[in-house]
Amino acid sequence: MLMFARLAGHDSIAFGGSVIGLLSLLFGWLELKPNRLAAGTGLSMWQSAGWLATAIVIVLWLICLALSLSGGKALRAAVIGMAANLLLFANFAFAGLTASGLLREEAAFSRVSLGAGIWISVFAAYLLIFSARQKLKGSPLWRGVVSWSGLLAVALLLGLGWLNDVSVVQEFMGNQERFSQELVQHVLLFGGSVAAGSVLGVLLGIWAARSGIAEKPVFFAANVSQTLPSLAFFGLLIAPLSALSSAFPALREMGIRGIGATPAVLALTIYSLLPIVRNTYLGLRQVDPAVIDAGLGMGMSRGQVFRRIELPLSAPLVLEGIRTAMVQAVGNTAVAALIGAGGLGYFIFAGLGQAAFDLIMLGAIPIIVMALVADAAMRFAVKAASPKGTAVPGQ
Amino acid sequence: MIRLEHVSKRYGNTVAVDDVSLEIETGLVCVLIGPSGCGKTTTLRMINRLMEPTSGRILVGGRDISTTRPEELRRSIGYAIQNVGLFPHMTVAANISVVPGLLHWDKKRIARRVEELLALVGLDPYAHAAKYPSQLSGGEAQRVGVARALAADPPILLMDEPFGAVDPMTRERLQTQFASIQQALKKTVILVTHDLDEAIRLADRIAIMESGRLVQYDTPEVMLARPANKFVHDFVGADHALKRLSRIKIGGYVKPAATVRVNASAQEIASALGGHRWGWVVDEAGRPVGWIDARDLPSAASLSEAIVRADTDEIAVARTATLREALSRMLGNGMKSIPVIDGQGRFLGEITLRDIETATAEAEP
Repeated sequence: MLMFARLAGHDSIAFGGSVIGLLSLLFGWLELKPNRLAAGTGLSMWQSAGWLATAIVIVLWLICLALSLSGGKALRAAVIGMAANLLLFANFAFAGLTASGLLREEAAFSRVSLGAGIWISVFAAYLLIFSARQKLKGSPLWRGVVSWSGLLAVALLLGLGWLNDVSVVQEFMGNQERFSQELVQHVLLFGGSVAAGSVLGVLLGIWAARSGIAEKPVFFAANVSQTLPSLAFFGLLIAPLSALSSAFPALREMGIRGIGATPAVLALTIYSLLPIVRNTYLGLRQVDPAVIDAGLGMGMSRGQVFRRIELPLSAPLVLEGIRTAMVQAVGNTAVAALIGAGGLGYFIFAGLGQAAFDLIMLGAIPIIVMALVADAAMRFAVKAASPKGTAVPGQ
Repeated sequence: MIRLEHVSKRYGNTVAVDDVSLEIETGLVCVLIGPSGCGKTTTLRMINRLMEPTSGRILVGGRDISTTRPEELRRSIGYAIQNVGLFPHMTVAANISVVPGLLHWDKKRIARRVEELLALVGLDPYAHAAKYPSQLSGGEAQRVGVARALAADPPILLMDEPFGAVDPMTRERLQTQFASIQQALKKTVILVTHDLDEAIRLADRIAIMESGRLVQYDTPEVMLARPANKFVHDFVGADHALKRLSRIKIGGYVKPAATVRVNASAQEIASALGGHRWGWVVDEAGRPVGWIDARDLPSAASLSEAIVRADTDEIAVARTATLREALSRMLGNGMKSIPVIDGQGRFLGEITLRDIETATAEAEP
C-alpha cells in the first residue's frame, strides 16, 4: 500500500486515468439493440471489435500507465497526452467500424449504441489530457495539440461518415432539421443572455465599485439570484410574465409570454450577472489607488483615467467573469427547454421521456463540446486582453 | 511664485489644514514636514486642486488657481508620489509621454524628450524605455516617476514623499541626484516628507506643520538654530547641531596640504614635505592612496615600506560632500584630517577637525 502511494505520487491523475482506462474494458463497449428503444445486450471490446483492436487499446493504456509512474517531464507529458488523444480517436474509429459490421448481420431496425465502456474511456482519456496540459504550460503549441487533436479527429470521423452506423449519429440523421434548429436556438439563448448579462453586469459592477451605497444591495441581489435553482427560477418568472403579457397585449405581440424564450433569457441573464458583476468590481478595485491618483494628478480627466487606466487594467478580470458566466449559461440553457424555450435541452428531455439514451446524448454531447469551446475561446480572450507587464488572471 | 492665503480644509468637524499662509519663491525647494496627519499632504494636494480648500485661496504666478480648469492646471504642474503610481500596462517611455501627449506634443518631440529625461535621471534610454514598470527596481521606478513629473517641463513640481518607498541607501542616492537636477533646472518644488534628514538635505525653506497649522517657515539653518517653539525643538531633535553640519558643503574649507608622489625619491620627499611632519601620498593619476610620516623615513628599508597605504574611497571625501560626512569619515577612521578629492578622484587638499569646529561656530545664523 505504501509502495502504491509512493508510485502513484509521481502523477496521480495520469495514473488514475490509465487505471480507469484499463478497467473500462471490463464494461460493455457497444450495445446491440433490436430496435431504437428496446434494451440491448452489452458487448465487450474484444467480443465486438476483435482482439487486434483490443490489444492496440490495451497497449496504449499500458504505455500511459508506465509513463505516469516515471515522473513528470514535459516530454513524457506530451507522449501521455498524444496517447490519450489517440485512444480517444481509436475508440470511436473502432466503434464506427464495428457498428457497421454488426448492422450488416442484423435485422433492419437494429441499433448499435456506444456503451458505458466507451464513455468511461473518454473520461479516462480526458483525465490524462488534463494532467498532460498541466505539465505543458511552457509550450502553448503542444498544449493546444494535446487539448484538441483527439476531439478534432473524432469530429473528422463524424464528418466523413465513419460513425454513421452508431446510434447517436442515426438519431442525429433522423432529427437533422430539428437538430440544427435547436442548436441555433441554444446558441441564441445563451449567447443573447450572456451578452445582455455582460452589458448589465459591467454597468452594475462599475456602479458597485464606485458607490459605497450600491455595493451591498448589488451583491446581495446577485448572490441571491445565483442560489436559486434554475428550474425554480424559470418557474417563478412564468406567473409575472403571463400577467404582464395578458395585461399588455402589445407585449404579447413582441413575443413576451410566461413560457418560451422570454423567461429563459431573463433568468439566464440574471444568472450570468454574479460572476460578471463580481469580477468587474474586483477588477476596478484591484487597480492601485496610487495609479489613479497619479493619473488625475498629471492632468487626466476622470474619463481619461477610466478609459486609459482603469479599463485596460480591469479588462482581463471582466472577461474572466464573462467566461465563467458563459460556461455556466451553456449548461443552464439546457433546462430552458422545459419551459418551451427550445435549445439542445429539448433532446435531453425528449430522450428522458422516451427512455432513448441516444437521444439524450444527441443533446448532451454538443452542449459539452460547446462549453469546452466557449471556455477555450474566452481563456484566449483573457490572455489577449491582459496588458504586457501585468499578470494574466487565472494562470 | 506660489502663495497660500489663509487656506483651510475641513471635513465635518475635523480640521485638516488650519489657516495656512505660505509664500514659496520661484526656483526654491520648499519642504513641508511634520508628523503624519499634520496636514502636509492635504496642503500639497490643494495646490494642484486634487483637493479644494474650504476657505482661503491659492495663487500660482499671481493667478487664483480656482479660476483654472483642474486638468489644465495639473498639466502645468509636475506630480510625483510616494508609491510612484507608474501605469503598469504602459512602458517606461509611454509613462513619461502621458503629459506631453495630453498637451498634444508631436511624436518626434515626445520621443526626444523621453530620451532626454531618462538620461537626466541617470537611466540608459536604450535599456529602459521599452521596459514595463514590473521590470524595474524600486529605485529605478522612483526615477522614472521623477522623469514623468518633469516630462512637460513644468515650472512647478509637487512631490509627495517621492523617495519614500526605497531602502535608505537608494534613497540617499536619489536625493543627491535630485539635488543636482534641481540645481540645473531651478524648478519651484514643494516636497512633502516626514524624514527630517531629507528635508535638511534638499530644502531651501522648511515649513513645519503640526495638526493642520504652520508652526515655522524658515531656512533649514534658522530652523535648526532657533526652533520657534518646543514642538519644533523636539521635532528637530537633540542632534540639531550635527544636522546643521549637513547643510554646509566642504568646498569652502579645503586647504592645501603637502603631497608626495608614490614613486618619489628620498630627496623629493624631503623637499615636498618641507617642514611638515607628514604628508599625503598620491599616485600617478593624482589620487590619494595613503600618507607618509617623516619620522618613519630613516628607519624604513625602502620608501614604499614607509607609506601607510589606504583605499582612496575609504579615507577621502568629495568636495561636494557636507561637513557632516567629513566629520563622520574622520571619526570612522580615527583621523584628525582627511584628503578632499574632485570628481575624478584627484587630490584637491585636506580638511581638518579644527576647520569643522570653526565652521560650526561661523555658521550660527
